[in-house]
Amino acid sequence: MDIGVLGIYICLFIGLYFEVFLLISFLEKRPAPKTQTLPMRYPGVAIIVPCWNKAQTLEGTVRSLLAIEYPKDKLSIVIVDDGSTDDTLRAAMQFAQNPQVKVFHKENEGSKYGALNFGLAHSAGELVGCLDADSFVAPDALLEIVKQFEANPETMAVAPALKVNHPKKMLELMQSVEYTFGIFYKKMFDNLGAISVIPGPFSIYRRELFERVGPFRKAHHTEDMEMAFRMHSHGLTITNAHTALVYTNVPSTVHALVRQRTRWSRGFLENSRDYSYMYLNQKYGNFGMLILPFGLTAFAAGIYAGGYVLFHLLSWALGRALDLWITRIPPHVPSLWHVEWFYLNTSMLTLLVVAVLGMTLTTIILGGKIAQTRLSFKSYFSYFALFGFVAPLWLVRAAWDTATSSERGWLT
Amino acid sequence: MGHRHVQRERMANLNWQKYLLALIITAAIFGTAFYFAARIDSQRIADIRATEKSISIDILSSETQFELLGNLDCPTISQNPVLQTELNSLASRLSVSEQNLGSDNAEVVYLKKQYSLLEIKDYLLMQQIAQKCHLKPVFVLYFYSNAGDCADCARAGDVLTYMRGQYPGLRVYSFDYNLDLSALKTLASLRTLNGNLPAFIINNRAPVYGFKTLDQLEALIPELKTLATSTDSTGSPQAVATPILYR
Repeated sequence: MDIGVLGIYICLFIGLYFEVFLLISFLEKRPAPKTQTLPMRYPGVAIIVPCWNKAQTLEGTVRSLLAIEYPKDKLSIVIVDDGSTDDTLRAAMQFAQNPQVKVFHKENEGSKYGALNFGLAHSAGELVGCLDADSFVAPDALLEIVKQFEANPETMAVAPALKVNHPKKMLELMQSVEYTFGIFYKKMFDNLGAISVIPGPFSIYRRELFERVGPFRKAHHTEDMEMAFRMHSHGLTITNAHTALVYTNVPSTVHALVRQRTRWSRGFLENSRDYSYMYLNQKYGNFGMLILPFGLTAFAAGIYAGGYVLFHLLSWALGRALDLWITRIPPHVPSLWHVEWFYLNTSMLTLLVVAVLGMTLTTIILGGKIAQTRLSFKSYFSYFALFGFVAPLWLVRAAWDTATSSERGWLT
Repeated sequence: MGHRHVQRERMANLNWQKYLLALIITAAIFGTAFYFAARIDSQRIADIRATEKSISIDILSSETQFELLGNLDCPTISQNPVLQTELNSLASRLSVSEQNLGSDNAEVVYLKKQYSLLEIKDYLLMQQIAQKCHLKPVFVLYFYSNAGDCADCARAGDVLTYMRGQYPGLRVYSFDYNLDLSALKTLASLRTLNGNLPAFIINNRAPVYGFKTLDQLEALIPELKTLATSTDSTGSPQAVATPILYR
């Protein structure tokens, strides 16, 4: 067997193992459906809205917060204009008269953590959260999250279920499937006590957490991921409220998407280096034994598989072009003679790829059921047609940036 | 104290049985994929075997008919090339199996030998028919190697496949030069092949060695002008025919 194919088999085995593991976790503990029960108590909540050049979307974000079903005197909104160079401050100031809203302006420090810590210092409330200024919350999202805190007093942070806001373009549709996939993953990571990111859009923390572990750090421009790593290192609990829905805008061009994901992927690599002692360390439970090692392996596997497929596609295309040029055979459309069962590719490799894709499809459908999302055929098509080609781009770029210690800044 | 307590709890939550169960299920999926791939491959071999059997009976029947009557219905034969379609279909099936199972697979080698014998028999029968019926068929015996010692054989095969698509009356018989088959070795020695590959024997003339482009090969077969092209009957070009086993 050629060594290149052996690598693909190893990638498939690891991918399949992880999917099987998560499906077993799903069967062990299925996500509970949404209930109409209300919290016993309504703690004070402050939501920080850090924004840098978000003049276009800030108003919608704040209006979604003001529409939240929660006692008005218990919910405050802290808008932190992080040195925007557009009309963000003006968009924020239209809410300055609202008693629930406070607006601040500060100089930009080159990363989001500065705005978050500024917001922490200028807010009050037992719970404190963050909402990126390009995201919008469902009216009952906070109630669902508060119920999670109430259910488990040890919970220090709750992450919501993220959906893509009105996906239209093919790249956005691809991400809508990816986010639905993420909803399943997040819930299963919760089952395993191993959530790896507390995302910017509407994750809520107990304020005492920051007294115990300290404020947000720059953390290679992935302060949300670093906070999750740090919480695991302190043995603190993060849960997921799959019934708390948050809608977020996503990059609509390949360039913007690759920039965003490069930051995320590089953040994973750099934070992995900073917290390398947690890898394969039983003290950190499934996070150390499964999620971190799998994340790193998936990173390498993504680059390997992407490179392998690209190499073979290019070799094939160049080989065919060279053959036609040498043989002088005019370009032609191949005949359809081979369309019968005998000529179907039924190699073990193909069957395994089908199995992995089938598992992936299952997790997407389960993610859709958990968050009550119905994805269109076009979304599925966009995901399966595009993801495998674009993902290696940011993986390679992130690996390169990490290896060369390039500083690209916040970027998104 | 609380921190240590939580870590102990997390270690306790590590369910090794689940890790093992996931491993067993994943291995089972791999095993199932291996089993089904092997089952389908053996189905393919059975399909090729059945086709070869059927072609063998057809050839035997034609030979017997030929011997019985000493004559055949020449107009019918000249319009319907005997067994050529079946042989081509068989060749492309063998080619797929060779790719899947490897050219040194014992089953594949056996089937290739049978296929080569059927080709030789068809070639001899067609020569007899041509003589009897005063036909002027165009035969190309093509010798190739897929043992890694003939870089140009694949391209030569592409040229012949394309030509057969253009000229449905062109009869191409392809042979793996390295096949350990005495009838094939006899054919090669009768045609005085020197071992250089690819080699073409066009209408029983002296062998031509080395890769030839489409134009060069067409120039080597002036008889092609006597053959109808694929556009003659259908009005639209049939760009590619079934690939013959010649890689």
